[in-house]
Amino acid sequence: MSCYITACGAALPERIVTNAELAPMLGVAPEWIEANSGIRERRWVEAKQSASDMAAAAVRDAVRQAELPAEAIDYLIGGTLSPDYQVPGIAPLVQHKLAGCRMIPALDVRVGCAAILYSLQIARGLIASQAANTVVCFGAEAQSKGLDLNPRSAELSMLFGDGAGALVVSNQPANKLSLRVDDVLLATDGSFAEELGVRAPGTGNGARWMDAEELHLPTMNGRTVILHAVRKLTDAAHEILDRNQLSLDQIDLLVPHQANLNLLRALGKKLEVSDDRVVVNLDRYGNTSGAAAFLALRDAQALLKPGARALVLAFGAGFTWGAALLQTIGMSGKNANTT
Amino acid sequence: MLPQIILSYLQQAAREARTEIPDQNTSLFDAGLLDSFSLVEFVTLLETEVGLKVSDADLRPETFDTVAKIEAYIANAGVAV
Repeated sequence: MSCYITACGAALPERIVTNAELAPMLGVAPEWIEANSGIRERRWVEAKQSASDMAAAAVRDAVRQAELPAEAIDYLIGGTLSPDYQVPGIAPLVQHKLAGCRMIPALDVRVGCAAILYSLQIARGLIASQAANTVVCFGAEAQSKGLDLNPRSAELSMLFGDGAGALVVSNQPANKLSLRVDDVLLATDGSFAEELGVRAPGTGNGARWMDAEELHLPTMNGRTVILHAVRKLTDAAHEILDRNQLSLDQIDLLVPHQANLNLLRALGKKLEVSDDRVVVNLDRYGNTSGAAAFLALRDAQALLKPGARALVLAFGAGFTWGAALLQTIGMSGKNANTT
Repeated sequence: MLPQIILSYLQQAAREARTEIPDQNTSLFDAGLLDSFSLVEFVTLLETEVGLKVSDADLRPETFDTVAKIEAYIANAGVAV
Protein backbone atom coordinates (compact mmCIF):
# COMPACT_ATOMS: atom_id res chain seq x y z
CA MET A 1 0.00 0.00 0.00
CA SER A 2 1.29 3.45 -0.89
CA CYS A 3 1.38 6.31 1.57
CA TYR A 4 1.48 10.03 0.94
CA ILE A 5 2.75 13.14 2.65
CA THR A 6 -0.31 15.32 2.31
CA ALA A 7 0.92 18.37 4.20
CA CYS A 8 4.02 19.89 5.74
CA GLY A 9 3.85 22.22 8.72
CA ALA A 10 6.38 24.39 10.49
CA ALA A 11 6.84 26.49 13.58
CA LEU A 12 9.73 28.84 14.23
CA PRO A 13 10.45 31.00 17.27
CA GLU A 14 10.05 34.72 16.72
CA ARG A 15 13.43 35.60 18.15
CA ILE A 16 16.10 35.92 15.44
CA VAL A 17 19.70 35.59 16.59
CA THR A 18 22.10 36.98 14.03
CA ASN A 19 25.77 36.14 13.75
CA ALA A 20 26.49 39.68 14.93
CA GLU A 21 24.66 38.93 18.19
CA LEU A 22 26.10 35.46 18.70
CA ALA A 23 29.70 36.02 17.64
CA PRO A 24 30.87 38.02 20.69
CA MET A 25 29.62 35.29 23.04
CA LEU A 26 31.66 32.74 21.14
CA GLY A 27 34.75 34.89 20.73
CA VAL A 28 34.67 34.83 16.94
CA ALA A 29 33.80 37.23 14.13
CA PRO A 30 30.32 37.14 12.53
CA GLU A 31 31.99 36.59 9.17
CA TRP A 32 33.82 33.55 10.54
CA ILE A 33 30.51 31.93 11.46
CA GLU A 34 29.09 32.45 7.99
CA ALA A 35 32.27 31.30 6.25
CA ASN A 36 32.44 28.14 8.34
CA SER A 37 28.77 27.22 8.29
CA GLY A 38 26.81 29.24 5.74
CA ILE A 39 24.54 30.34 8.60
CA ARG A 40 23.56 34.02 8.81
CA GLU A 41 20.96 33.78 11.53
CA ARG A 42 19.00 31.26 13.53
CA ARG A 43 15.88 31.28 15.71
CA TRP A 44 15.98 30.72 19.45
CA VAL A 45 13.04 29.98 21.71
CA GLU A 46 12.14 32.15 24.67
CA ALA A 47 12.62 30.80 28.19
CA LYS A 48 8.96 29.88 28.51
CA GLN A 49 8.95 27.88 25.25
CA SER A 50 9.85 24.20 25.02
CA ALA A 51 10.42 21.74 22.20
CA SER A 52 6.92 20.35 22.66
CA ASP A 53 5.47 23.86 22.24
CA MET A 54 7.28 24.18 18.94
CA ALA A 55 6.24 20.68 17.90
CA ALA A 56 2.58 21.20 18.74
CA ALA A 57 2.55 24.42 16.71
CA ALA A 58 4.12 22.66 13.72
CA VAL A 59 1.64 19.78 13.95
CA ARG A 60 -1.27 22.23 14.13
CA ASP A 61 0.09 23.94 11.02
CA ALA A 62 0.43 20.62 9.21
CA VAL A 63 -3.10 19.38 9.98
CA ARG A 64 -4.46 22.81 9.04
CA GLN A 65 -2.66 22.56 5.70
CA ALA A 66 -4.09 19.07 5.25
CA GLU A 67 -7.55 20.39 6.12
CA LEU A 68 -7.90 17.74 8.77
CA PRO A 69 -9.13 18.03 12.34
CA ALA A 70 -6.77 16.83 15.06
CA GLU A 71 -9.30 14.06 15.70
CA ALA A 72 -8.22 12.48 12.39
CA ILE A 73 -4.70 11.72 13.61
CA ASP A 74 -4.27 8.01 14.32
CA TYR A 75 -0.63 8.00 15.39
CA LEU A 76 1.95 10.58 16.46
CA ILE A 77 5.68 10.05 15.99
CA GLY A 78 8.24 12.64 16.98
CA GLY A 79 11.96 13.20 17.33
CA THR A 80 14.00 15.70 19.28
CA LEU A 81 17.45 16.11 20.79
CA SER A 82 16.17 18.71 23.20
CA PRO A 83 13.15 17.14 24.92
CA ASP A 84 11.09 18.93 27.53
CA TYR A 85 11.94 16.18 30.00
CA GLN A 86 14.07 13.06 30.21
CA VAL A 87 10.84 11.15 30.87
CA PRO A 88 8.20 11.18 29.47
CA GLY A 89 9.04 11.63 25.83
CA ILE A 90 7.99 14.59 23.73
CA ALA A 91 5.24 12.82 21.76
CA PRO A 92 2.81 12.42 24.70
CA LEU A 93 3.29 16.12 25.55
CA VAL A 94 2.46 17.08 21.98
CA GLN A 95 -0.59 14.83 21.98
CA HIS A 96 -1.82 16.64 25.09
CA LYS A 97 -1.27 20.06 23.49
CA LEU A 98 -3.31 19.24 20.38
CA ALA A 99 -6.90 20.24 21.04
CA GLY A 100 -9.20 17.50 19.89
CA CYS A 101 -6.52 14.85 19.48
CA ARG A 102 -7.69 11.44 20.61
CA MET A 103 -5.76 9.20 23.02
CA ILE A 104 -3.76 7.80 20.15
CA PRO A 105 -0.33 6.15 20.33
CA ALA A 106 2.39 8.78 20.68
CA LEU A 107 5.92 7.58 20.08
CA ASP A 108 9.39 9.15 20.38
CA VAL A 109 12.17 8.23 17.97
CA ARG A 110 15.63 9.01 19.36
CA VAL A 111 17.68 9.10 16.20
CA GLY A 112 18.92 12.67 16.20
CA CYS A 113 18.84 14.45 12.88
CA ALA A 114 17.60 11.38 11.02
CA ALA A 115 14.21 11.61 12.77
CA ILE A 116 12.36 12.42 9.56
CA LEU A 117 13.49 9.19 7.90
CA TYR A 118 12.90 6.88 10.84
CA SER A 119 9.46 8.36 11.53
CA LEU A 120 8.53 8.14 7.85
CA GLN A 121 9.55 4.49 7.73
CA ILE A 122 7.43 3.73 10.78
CA ALA A 123 4.50 5.70 9.37
CA ARG A 124 4.77 3.79 6.12
CA GLY A 125 4.67 0.49 7.97
CA LEU A 126 1.73 1.53 10.12
CA ILE A 127 -0.26 2.54 7.07
CA ALA A 128 0.70 -0.57 5.11
CA SER A 129 -0.43 -2.77 8.01
CA GLN A 130 -3.62 -0.71 8.34
CA ALA A 131 -2.82 0.03 11.96
CA ALA A 132 -3.29 3.70 11.04
CA ASN A 133 -4.67 5.77 8.19
CA THR A 134 -3.21 9.12 9.20
CA VAL A 135 0.13 9.45 10.94
CA VAL A 136 1.71 12.73 11.94
CA CYS A 137 5.51 12.82 12.12
CA PHE A 138 7.40 15.72 13.62
CA GLY A 139 10.87 16.92 14.53
CA ALA A 140 11.28 19.70 17.08
CA GLU A 141 14.13 21.44 18.85
CA ALA A 142 14.67 24.00 21.57
CA GLN A 143 18.36 23.23 21.67
CA SER A 144 19.53 26.81 22.20
CA LYS A 145 18.81 26.13 25.88
CA GLY A 146 21.58 23.53 25.96
CA LEU A 147 24.34 25.36 24.12
CA ASP A 148 27.68 26.17 25.68
CA LEU A 149 27.95 29.85 24.79
CA ASN A 150 31.70 30.10 25.29
CA PRO A 151 34.65 30.37 22.90
CA ARG A 152 35.69 26.78 23.62
CA SER A 153 32.45 25.60 21.96
CA ALA A 154 32.27 28.15 19.15
CA GLU A 155 32.41 25.59 16.33
CA LEU A 156 29.42 23.75 17.75
CA SER A 157 27.33 26.49 19.30
CA MET A 158 27.40 28.66 16.17
CA LEU A 159 25.40 26.02 14.34
CA PHE A 160 22.22 25.34 16.21
CA GLY A 161 18.81 26.86 15.94
CA ASP A 162 15.35 26.07 17.24
CA GLY A 163 12.16 25.20 15.41
CA ALA A 164 9.88 22.38 14.40
CA GLY A 165 8.49 20.72 11.34
CA ALA A 166 5.68 18.21 10.88
CA LEU A 167 4.30 15.97 8.16
CA VAL A 168 0.86 14.49 7.72
CA VAL A 169 1.27 11.00 6.25
CA SER A 170 -1.89 9.39 4.95
CA ASN A 171 -3.11 6.32 3.15
CA GLN A 172 -4.68 8.53 0.48
CA PRO A 173 -3.34 11.52 -1.46
CA ALA A 174 -4.76 14.96 -0.85
CA ASN A 175 -6.58 16.96 -3.48
CA LYS A 176 -4.06 19.78 -3.82
CA LEU A 177 -0.63 18.23 -3.39
CA SER A 178 0.88 15.04 -2.12
CA LEU A 179 4.30 13.50 -2.00
CA ARG A 180 4.10 9.76 -2.48
CA VAL A 181 6.63 7.95 -0.31
CA ASP A 182 8.18 5.50 -2.75
CA ASP A 183 11.00 4.15 -0.59
CA VAL A 184 12.85 4.70 2.67
CA LEU A 185 16.35 3.42 3.37
CA LEU A 186 17.71 3.42 6.92
CA ALA A 187 21.02 2.47 8.51
CA THR A 188 22.88 2.70 11.81
CA ASP A 189 26.50 2.26 12.85
CA GLY A 190 26.63 2.35 16.63
CA SER A 191 30.42 2.09 16.67
CA PHE A 192 30.42 5.88 16.23
CA ALA A 193 27.94 6.57 19.03
CA GLU A 194 30.49 8.55 21.05
CA GLU A 195 31.27 10.97 18.22
CA LEU A 196 28.11 13.04 18.46
CA GLY A 197 25.70 13.43 21.33
CA VAL A 198 24.63 14.66 24.72
CA ARG A 199 25.72 12.18 27.36
CA ALA A 200 23.87 13.25 30.46
CA PRO A 201 21.61 12.53 32.10
CA GLY A 202 22.34 8.90 31.42
CA THR A 203 23.32 5.68 33.08
CA GLY A 204 26.46 5.30 30.97
CA ASN A 205 28.31 7.98 32.90
CA GLY A 206 29.18 6.29 36.16
CA ALA A 207 27.35 5.79 39.42
CA ARG A 208 24.85 8.59 38.98
CA TRP A 209 23.01 10.19 36.07
CA MET A 210 24.81 13.51 36.32
CA ASP A 211 28.06 12.65 38.13
CA ALA A 212 30.52 13.94 35.57
CA GLU A 213 30.61 17.69 34.99
CA GLU A 214 29.34 19.21 31.76
CA LEU A 215 28.19 15.96 30.18
CA HIS A 216 24.85 17.65 29.62
CA LEU A 217 26.48 19.81 26.92
CA PRO A 218 26.42 18.64 23.30
CA THR A 219 29.67 17.23 21.95
CA MET A 220 30.72 16.49 18.41
CA ASN A 221 33.87 15.24 16.75
CA GLY A 222 33.15 17.41 13.75
CA ARG A 223 35.82 16.03 11.45
CA THR A 224 34.72 12.44 11.92
CA VAL A 225 31.05 13.39 11.61
CA ILE A 226 31.63 15.27 8.35
CA LEU A 227 33.70 12.46 6.83
CA HIS A 228 31.04 9.90 7.61
CA ALA A 229 28.08 12.11 6.75
CA VAL A 230 29.37 12.73 3.24
CA ARG A 231 30.24 9.08 2.67
CA LYS A 232 27.09 7.59 4.16
CA LEU A 233 24.72 10.02 2.49
CA THR A 234 26.41 9.53 -0.86
CA ASP A 235 26.16 5.76 -0.48
CA ALA A 236 22.54 5.96 0.72
CA ALA A 237 21.58 8.12 -2.26
CA HIS A 238 23.11 5.71 -4.73
CA GLU A 239 21.63 2.65 -3.01
CA ILE A 240 18.05 3.90 -2.86
CA LEU A 241 18.23 5.09 -6.46
CA ASP A 242 19.74 1.83 -7.67
CA ARG A 243 17.05 -0.28 -6.07
CA ASN A 244 14.38 1.91 -7.67
CA GLN A 245 16.06 1.87 -11.08
CA LEU A 246 16.58 5.62 -11.00
CA SER A 247 19.56 7.91 -11.50
CA LEU A 248 20.42 11.20 -9.85
CA ASP A 249 19.50 12.95 -13.10
CA GLN A 250 15.92 11.94 -12.38
CA ILE A 251 15.90 13.64 -9.00
CA ASP A 252 14.62 17.19 -9.14
CA LEU A 253 15.59 18.22 -5.63
CA LEU A 254 17.87 16.95 -2.92
CA VAL A 255 16.41 17.68 0.49
CA PRO A 256 19.25 17.17 2.94
CA HIS A 257 19.47 17.59 6.67
CA GLN A 258 20.66 21.17 7.12
CA ALA A 259 23.90 20.51 8.98
CA ASN A 260 26.36 23.00 7.55
CA LEU A 261 26.51 24.62 4.11
CA ASN A 262 30.08 23.44 3.53
CA LEU A 263 28.93 19.88 4.18
CA LEU A 264 26.00 20.28 1.80
CA ARG A 265 28.34 21.60 -0.88
CA ALA A 266 30.73 18.69 -0.33
CA LEU A 267 27.79 16.29 -0.62
CA GLY A 268 26.53 17.95 -3.79
CA LYS A 269 29.99 17.78 -5.30
CA LYS A 270 30.34 14.10 -4.42
CA LEU A 271 26.94 13.33 -5.93
CA GLU A 272 27.58 15.68 -8.88
CA VAL A 273 24.36 17.56 -8.18
CA SER A 274 24.37 21.29 -8.89
CA ASP A 275 23.71 23.75 -6.07
CA ASP A 276 20.37 24.81 -7.54
CA ARG A 277 19.00 21.30 -6.97
CA VAL A 278 19.90 21.26 -3.28
CA VAL A 279 17.40 22.75 -0.85
CA VAL A 280 19.14 25.06 1.62
CA ASN A 281 17.49 27.03 4.40
CA LEU A 282 20.14 26.86 7.10
CA ASP A 283 21.25 30.38 6.24
CA ARG A 284 18.02 31.52 7.93
CA TYR A 285 17.35 28.80 10.50
CA GLY A 286 20.75 27.34 11.31
CA ASN A 287 21.04 23.63 11.99
CA THR A 288 17.77 22.71 13.65
CA SER A 289 18.87 19.09 14.15
CA GLY A 290 15.83 16.80 14.32
CA ALA A 291 13.63 19.48 12.76
CA ALA A 292 15.96 20.49 9.94
CA ALA A 293 14.97 18.03 7.22
CA PHE A 294 11.29 18.55 8.05
CA LEU A 295 11.72 22.29 7.50
CA ALA A 296 13.71 21.68 4.32
CA LEU A 297 10.99 19.40 2.98
CA ARG A 298 8.41 22.05 3.76
CA ASP A 299 10.41 24.44 1.57
CA ALA A 300 10.95 21.80 -1.13
CA GLN A 301 7.26 20.99 -1.34
CA ALA A 302 6.55 24.45 -2.71
CA LEU A 303 9.14 23.98 -5.46
CA LEU A 304 8.13 20.61 -6.80
CA LYS A 305 5.95 20.32 -9.86
CA PRO A 306 3.63 17.35 -10.35
CA GLY A 307 5.67 14.27 -11.16
CA ALA A 308 8.86 15.70 -9.72
CA ARG A 309 11.01 13.56 -7.47
CA ALA A 310 12.73 14.56 -4.25
CA LEU A 311 15.41 12.69 -2.35
CA VAL A 312 15.54 13.35 1.38
CA LEU A 313 18.93 12.64 2.98
CA ALA A 314 19.62 12.79 6.69
CA PHE A 315 22.45 11.85 9.02
CA GLY A 316 22.53 12.06 12.78
CA ALA A 317 23.81 10.88 16.11
CA GLY A 318 24.31 7.16 16.43
CA PHE A 319 25.42 7.32 13.65
CA THR A 320 22.03 6.96 12.01
CA TRP A 321 21.34 7.91 8.43
CA GLY A 322 19.36 7.14 5.34
CA ALA A 323 17.32 8.40 2.45
CA ALA A 324 13.71 8.71 1.39
CA LEU A 325 12.50 8.80 -2.18
CA LEU A 326 9.41 10.92 -2.80
CA GLN A 327 7.41 11.84 -5.87
CA THR A 328 4.80 14.57 -6.16
CA ILE A 329 1.33 13.94 -7.40
CA GLY A 330 -1.34 16.60 -7.82
CA MET A 331 -0.92 20.36 -7.98
CA SER A 332 2.28 22.04 -6.81
CA GLY A 333 2.68 25.07 -4.64
CA LYS A 334 4.07 28.43 -5.77
CA ASN A 335 6.40 31.24 -4.86
CA ALA A 336 9.49 29.58 -3.48
CA ASN A 337 13.19 29.41 -4.25
CA THR A 338 15.92 26.85 -3.83
CA THR A 339 19.28 28.06 -2.53
CA MET B 1 57.09 8.20 0.68
CA LEU B 2 53.90 9.80 -0.58
CA PRO B 3 52.38 9.16 -4.00
CA GLN B 4 53.00 12.14 -6.28
CA ILE B 5 49.35 13.12 -6.43
CA ILE B 6 49.09 13.23 -2.63
CA LEU B 7 52.34 15.15 -2.38
CA SER B 8 51.05 17.64 -4.96
CA TYR B 9 47.79 18.04 -3.03
CA LEU B 10 49.63 18.78 0.20
CA GLN B 11 52.03 21.15 -1.56
CA GLN B 12 49.09 23.07 -2.99
CA ALA B 13 47.39 23.14 0.42
CA ALA B 14 50.62 24.43 1.96
CA ARG B 15 50.87 27.18 -0.65
CA GLU B 16 47.28 28.23 0.05
CA ALA B 17 48.05 28.26 3.78
CA ARG B 18 51.24 30.21 3.07
CA THR B 19 53.35 27.62 4.78
CA GLU B 20 55.26 24.46 3.99
CA ILE B 21 54.50 20.82 4.44
CA PRO B 22 55.41 20.21 8.08
CA ASP B 23 57.69 17.49 9.37
CA GLN B 24 56.55 13.89 9.42
CA ASN B 25 54.86 13.96 12.80
CA THR B 26 53.29 17.41 12.91
CA SER B 27 49.52 17.63 12.59
CA LEU B 28 48.40 18.69 9.13
CA PHE B 29 45.35 20.24 10.76
CA ASP B 30 47.45 22.34 13.14
CA ALA B 31 49.68 23.33 10.22
CA GLY B 32 46.64 24.57 8.30
CA LEU B 33 46.94 22.11 5.40
CA LEU B 34 43.78 20.18 6.22
CA ASP B 35 40.43 21.09 7.74
CA SER B 36 37.11 19.32 8.17
CA PHE B 37 36.06 19.81 4.57
CA SER B 38 39.35 19.49 2.74
CA LEU B 39 39.72 16.18 4.59
CA VAL B 40 36.67 14.89 2.67
CA GLU B 41 38.40 15.91 -0.55
CA PHE B 42 41.66 14.36 0.59
CA VAL B 43 40.08 10.99 1.35
CA THR B 44 38.27 11.08 -1.99
CA LEU B 45 41.63 11.66 -3.65
CA LEU B 46 43.15 8.70 -1.82
CA GLU B 47 40.30 6.48 -2.94
CA THR B 48 39.91 7.63 -6.53
CA GLU B 49 43.48 8.47 -7.51
CA VAL B 50 45.61 6.25 -5.29
CA GLY B 51 43.23 3.34 -5.37
CA LEU B 52 42.78 2.88 -1.63
CA LYS B 53 39.53 1.83 -0.05
CA VAL B 54 39.35 3.56 3.32
CA SER B 55 37.21 1.41 5.61
CA ASP B 56 34.56 2.97 7.82
CA ALA B 57 36.64 2.12 10.88
CA ASP B 58 39.62 4.01 9.43
CA LEU B 59 37.55 6.97 8.31
CA ARG B 60 38.70 9.25 11.11
CA PRO B 61 40.83 12.40 11.02
CA GLU B 62 43.53 10.82 13.19
CA THR B 63 44.21 8.29 10.43
CA PHE B 64 45.47 11.05 8.15
CA ASP B 65 46.61 13.85 10.41
CA THR B 66 50.37 13.57 9.79
CA VAL B 67 52.54 12.77 6.81
CA ALA B 68 53.92 9.76 8.68
CA LYS B 69 50.45 8.34 9.26
CA ILE B 70 49.43 8.85 5.65
CA GLU B 71 52.59 7.12 4.44
CA ALA B 72 52.04 4.23 6.85
CA TYR B 73 48.41 3.89 5.84
CA ILE B 74 49.27 3.74 2.16
CA ALA B 75 52.11 1.31 2.79
CA ASN B 76 49.88 -0.97 4.90
CA ALA B 77 47.29 -0.97 2.15
CA GLY B 78 49.92 -2.38 -0.19
CA VAL B 79 49.59 0.36 -2.75
CA ALA B 80 52.68 0.79 -4.89
CA VAL B 81 53.98 4.36 -4.84
